[in-house]
Formats: sequence, structure tokens, C-alpha cells
Amino acid sequence: MKRRTFLGGAMAVAVVGQGSRALAQQPPIKIGMSMPQTGGLAGGGKASLLGIEIWRDDINAKGGLLGRKVELVVYDDKSSASETPAIYAKLVDVDKVDLLFAPYATVPTAPIMPFVKQRGLLLMGNFSFQVNSKVGHDMWFNNAPWGPADSWAASFLDLAQKAGGKSMALLTADQEFAQNLALTARDVAKKRNIPVVFDQSYPPNTVEFASIIRALKAAKPDIVYVASYPPDSAGILRAVNEIGIGDDVKIFGGGMVGLQFAAVMSNLGSLLNGVVNYNTWLPESSMYFDGTKAFFDTYTKRAIEAKVDPLGYYLAPFGYAMGQMIDAAVGATKSLDQKGIAKYLRDNEHKTIVGPIAFSADGERKETATLQAQFRGVKDKDIEQFRSSGKQVILFPEKLKTGSLISPFEAARK
Amino acid sequence: MMKHRNSIAFWAGVAIFLVAVLSMTQIVRNEYPFFAGYVILQFIALAVAWSILGGYAGYVNFGTNAFFGVGVYTAVALFKATGAPLVVQIAAAAVIGMLLGFGVGLLTLRMRGIFFSIATIALAIIIETFVMNWRFVGGAAGIQLQRPPVTAPFDSYVKMLFFVQAILVVIAVGIARYIQNSRMGRGLQALRDDELAAECTGVPTLKLKLVACMISGALMSAVGAPAAMYLQYADPSSAFNLTYSVSALAMSLIGGTAHWIGPVLGAILLGSTQQFLAVTISSEINVLVLGIMLVLFVVGAPKGIIGLLRPRYRLRAGGKP
Repeated sequence: MKRRTFLGGAMAVAVVGQGSRALAQQPPIKIGMSMPQTGGLAGGGKASLLGIEIWRDDINAKGGLLGRKVELVVYDDKSSASETPAIYAKLVDVDKVDLLFAPYATVPTAPIMPFVKQRGLLLMGNFSFQVNSKVGHDMWFNNAPWGPADSWAASFLDLAQKAGGKSMALLTADQEFAQNLALTARDVAKKRNIPVVFDQSYPPNTVEFASIIRALKAAKPDIVYVASYPPDSAGILRAVNEIGIGDDVKIFGGGMVGLQFAAVMSNLGSLLNGVVNYNTWLPESSMYFDGTKAFFDTYTKRAIEAKVDPLGYYLAPFGYAMGQMIDAAVGATKSLDQKGIAKYLRDNEHKTIVGPIAFSADGERKETATLQAQFRGVKDKDIEQFRSSGKQVILFPEKLKTGSLISPFEAARK
Repeated sequence: MMKHRNSIAFWAGVAIFLVAVLSMTQIVRNEYPFFAGYVILQFIALAVAWSILGGYAGYVNFGTNAFFGVGVYTAVALFKATGAPLVVQIAAAAVIGMLLGFGVGLLTLRMRGIFFSIATIALAIIIETFVMNWRFVGGAAGIQLQRPPVTAPFDSYVKMLFFVQAILVVIAVGIARYIQNSRMGRGLQALRDDELAAECTGVPTLKLKLVACMISGALMSAVGAPAAMYLQYADPSSAFNLTYSVSALAMSLIGGTAHWIGPVLGAILLGSTQQFLAVTISSEINVLVLGIMLVLFVVGAPKGIIGLLRPRYRLRAGGKP
């Protein structure tokens, strides 16, 4: 008898305990995404994901969104466009996530744009380039600092023209992102009557650039705009170092992918000096906003464990910023209503660790915040040097500028 | 009599399959099964098409991605130029794939074994480079497409594509089954075992190889065509991805190449595992799991799943008891 009473009591306690826990603990808010964790985009994808995870941990430490914990549902899309439609259908129809983030880069994102438009879902973009221009989805917001499509080439050519550049050479990888950049570069050059004296595309995975650089040199351009991918960026700089590029060249670089990643930068070392290239975030005095330093302190520690890019300037803080914007929008609208969140995101300017972000009607940044920076005084084989300011001096945009262009290119290389 | 009864069972099975697929599109509201199912059906059709040449004739084609990509880009080009409907896109892709298959068939005149396989890889690279420089279809930058409105009785385009892909599977399996049981299938088996001996005994080897290449190519390209509308996006590196070649080959080998049911079983097993792993483990490990599966089958069951089943079910396959 005694034992039975005890059992009954214990059961009652257990039931009551569970009941009260269920009241206190609402289900988490689920944010779904795919992320390249294998394949060609994996390096960037993992760094981006770490940025988002740091945001999740920060927001959960503060009590979550609307008093509910934030949970991430992440699948690997293998860097491929053919994987993402099924993954996003699963996220929406099976996992019933509350909000969607896009995978890193253009190729995996492009196939899900029509899907989110058709379903009327909010999608936070993650560094894709002009994926919404043809789809016209009004609930798409890209975290990347690109801005209007032509601003990338325009800012580089501004710098070039100020340095006295009058003719352009274009060297482009036969790959999606590089070709898009080259397209806008040709348009901008045409508008400004800058003759394109050399226009060469090369197949992906080219390693030997000596002959191409010789031909480029022979065309005697004074602006060299390069849109390349990580392995070829290294090959091009090696060839330039061996052969030289001529004293006419005022400015060299522009759209070289890879020179943002720690491994490639430390590998190339002093070959980088003088190159003017795009970037998204750099450890320069103008780039620190509320929370930026704290973010990188955490990132630097966790990057070792997660085995991702030790610097993480290029993608990670923008992953965090994506979360900050969601935090602000959900907080202000006090709901998870996607239309309301989208309206809030479009109508307001958002404070983030990568600076203020405001969107135009197409969901891209109102103004470009893509940096053009020049490598200076870089030594060989030293990752840590890139953590100090002055190694990549920001030349553009004007309000973030920390130095002026050294020109011509051969002088800047020394 | 036995054969006749088999045929009735087969076509009844096909009818049940198509009816099940069609009713699934009408009943199930959740769209995810259609997205995942489409991919699995696509791999079934690819694996069956591959095994017509790779299994029956023993010519290992590594250029599945070339045929698939040609299908995708035929659809893209046609859709962009004329807004052609899906059926026309698929038919055109089949014709182009058949022509390409004819070209590959001519290669078999001079090349056999590993050399033929390498030539098919080269073919994929050449075509991919061509597409990369073809600005009309977006070149290396890729192209986004807008689906036209869906036709009744389907309420979403993905459901329609799922059904269309199911029909392609039926066509592929029907053709593979026909070839296997016909004079042509026996000829192909003869030339697989010993091409010279087959030629000497009067098997028209070149004609058979050409026809097998053309049929296999046409099917693969036809399977690729709806992928353009499935993704609503096409870029050369995704469309000509080597994964298609590796998967088609692995699925056929795991299933067994001597009977048409082999690639079907292999594709169902491997395709569903891939889809399942993509949303469960979702990391480098899923590549590892597939690799281990392939190694286990190659070592433990060199004749694939049907090789394991044969003692019990006595499949009349491979010409040997």
C-alpha cells in the first residue's frame, strides 16, 4: 500500500513537472537552409555557417526570438544547383521551418528563387549575385554588399580613371561569377568610352598563365581587370611576377576570388602587393561597428575547432548580420509573419556588425559597400599579418576609405 | 506461353505503376516527395539507359553527363528560342541524343575497353566547353528560366514533371526489356563476351553497337530535358556534372547489369539512399557511405543485387544458368 502511494505520488509529480515545463518552453523557431559543406564552395559555406551559428548562440543566450529558442536546420547541398530544390521543399513542407536562409553563392541559390516566389516565402540571400534580377521576388534580401549590378566594375574603373587609366584589358575565367563580372565591366567601359584592348576568357582549372600574360602585356593596356577563381588567381599572380606586366599598367585586379581567403593569401604572400581587389570586410579602422570586435573574438576561437578559414572576413560576419536583421525585424513586428518581416526589412535601415544595411526594391543593397582595397607590405608565409590594419588599404567606398591608390602597379608591388 | 504470361505481368505492373504515380500527384499535398521522387526516377531512367550499352554490350560509357547535359541544353535552347512545350523539348533532346549516340557508336569501331571510356569522358568535356562559350544559353554564367503555367490535371509543375519522368522510366524499361529478350539483346551479349567470335559467327556487331549507342543516348538526353524545367536554372557545371556518370554506372553495377531489373533496383536503392542521406547525415560522410556501399557490392556481390537474388528466383539473365 505504501509503495503504491509512493508510486502514485511520483507519477503525479512527473506529470505536473512535465506540464509546467511544456508551458514555459515553447517550441523553438526553426530557421532552415542548405549550405555547401562538400564540393567546390564548401570552404566558404562552412565559414558562412559558423557566422550564422555564432549569431544563433548569441541570440539564444539573450533569450531567443519572441522568447523562443532559435534552432537551425541545415542540409548539405554539395555545392550543386541540382540538390537545392528538393532540400528547400523538405525544409518547407516536411520540417515546417519558420524562416529560410539561402545557401552561400549564386549557383545553389538560383533554382530556389522561383520556388520561394511561388510560395510567397521570405528568403535571406547569402552572397549570390543578381539572382533576383529576372525573378523579381519582393521578399528577397541579399546580405552581400554588392549593391547595383554595375557598381563593382564602376568603382574599379573610377579608381583606374583617376590614376590616368585610358584602356582596359579583361581577363576572365569561364565560370559563372567571373563571367557576370566581365559582362558588367564591358558595359561600364563602353559607357565611359574606355577601349577594351584585350578580352580573354580561359577555361576553369587553367594553371599556366605565362602565354596569356605575355599576350596581355603586348596589348599595352593601362587598366587590367581580372575576374578569376582561387586556383587561377594564384596562377595569374605567379605569371605576372615572373614575366612582369609593363610599366603602363596603372591598376591591376578587381574581381579576383580567392584573395579573400587566409590559405590563399598566406600562400601567395608578397606576390599580392600592389593588387587592388574587391573584398567585403577588412580589419581597417573604418570597418568596426557595434559588436564587430566581439564577433571576431568568438569567431577566431571557434574557427580552429570548426576547421574553417582562420580569418573569416569574407563571409562569416555577413552570416551573423543576416541573423541580426531577422532579429530586428521579428522584434519590431512581434511576429513571424513573413510579409510583415519583409516589409520591415525593406522600409528600414538595419544596424549590423558589418555596418548599416538598407535595401532597394530588388532586395539588393541600396548602395554598394563592396570594398576595393590594395595589398601593401605583405610578407611571405604569415597568416597573422592579415589581422593588422594597413595590409589591405581600403580605396573605395569613399566613406570607408583608409588610404589612396599607389600607382602604377609596378611601383606598388615594391 | 511462359513469355506471353511474363509480358502480361510486366505491362500490368507498368499500368499499376503509372496509375499509382498519377493518383499520388492528385492526392498528396506535400510537395517534398515529388521533388525527391523526381530525382530518384531520373536516376532509374539514366541507369537503365546506361545499361543498354554498358550492361548488355559491355561498353562502359563514362559520358552519361554529356548526354544528360545535351538534353538539358537542348531544352533550354528550344525553350528560350521558341517557348516550346515540355513534350517538344523532350522529343528534340531525344533526337539530338540519338545523333550524339551515333557519333559515340562510330567511336566503338576503333576503341574498346578503357580507351572507349576515356573517349566518352573527353566527349563530355568538349561539349561542356562548347556550351560554356555559347552565350545564347547563358554560357558559363548560367541561365534562369521561368516555367510556363502548369497543365491540367496537375496543380503544380513539379507533380507534372514527376509524372513525366515516370513515363520516361516506363519507356526506358520497356525498351531495355524488349532489347534483352530480342535477337538484338542476344547479339549484344555475344559481342560483350567476345566481339571477334561474335563477328565471325555472323553477328552484325557494328550495326548492333550503333543501334545500342543511339537508343541509350536518346534515352539519356530525353531524361535530361525536363531537368531544365525542374531546376528552372541551368549552368554547365551542374548540367555536365560527373556525378551523373558515376551514379548511373554505380547504380547499374550495384543492381546488376545482366537484366533490366538490375539498374532499376540499383537506382532505387542508391537514389533513395542519396536522398535520405542528403537530409539526415548531410556532410562529407554521405559521400563516404556511398563509396563504401559501392566497394561492398563490388567485392561481395560482383553481379549486383540480381546476382544475389538469382539462385532463388532463377532470373533468366546473362544467358547462363
